[in-house]
Amino acid sequence: MRAHPLEIRFPGTHAGFGNAFERLRSMLDEHHLDAVTRYNTELVFEEIVANLVKHAAPTDRDLDVRVILEPRNDAILLTFEDDGKPFDPREHLVRERPNAYADGQIGGYGLVLVRRAASAFGYLRTPEGRNRLTVTVPRGTL
Amino acid sequence: MQLQLSDTGDGILSISLIGRLDTPGVDVIETQLTARLVPRGARAIIDLSQVSFMGSGGIRMFITISRALARKGGKLALFGAQPLVAQVLETTSLNALVPVRADAETAAAVVRA
Repeated sequence: MRAHPLEIRFPGTHAGFGNAFERLRSMLDEHHLDAVTRYNTELVFEEIVANLVKHAAPTDRDLDVRVILEPRNDAILLTFEDDGKPFDPREHLVRERPNAYADGQIGGYGLVLVRRAASAFGYLRTPEGRNRLTVTVPRGTL
Repeated sequence: MQLQLSDTGDGILSISLIGRLDTPGVDVIETQLTARLVPRGARAIIDLSQVSFMGSGGIRMFITISRALARKGGKLALFGAQPLVAQVLETTSLNALVPVRADAETAAAVVRA
């Protein structure tokens, strides 16, 4: 059974991110996902959006972010679109666990978590100049 | 996200975190937690049993506080994580930097040592 896609659009600001996360959670409440799928979906949303805001944000205006959530029988498909600088997070997904001491700074854990939660990724830069990342979160996989 | 403080009676501070350690939650709690622990070089255990969600922001927060505490002679250990939060701790190997234990007693033993 395929449910209708859900869409959230928000500015890539602190407040925008917080509001969007609340809206996501309200939407997920209506879909009665199992606990693992729910957690992983929220985790992917949180980590990808935080990464976009950090790396893709333009300097002269707020980032415009659109997230589409598509429940499918065996997975949740998340599509993240933004109008920021070209940024393919998959390039960072190939890293193994970050070494906080060697790097001298703490970071990289977000994409490690996304890689663990998701089964597939796709990226393209659209003709309109938007980043589009798709992430597949399989249902019920711990 | 809220925190509750108690003293275990042997100089170890016990802190319960309640809520979600997502980006907004970390923003709410990090300054409070840092202020409670770091200036006094506390030896502290943190109960995660009522934390329903944690992402990389929470991981980063605990590493940062743990490092700051170490410079002051203090120590931090976490315990009691729910299964999905425990999965996040394991995936990021947080235990290699900040001790993660199953219960308060073993967490207290770590910070007491």
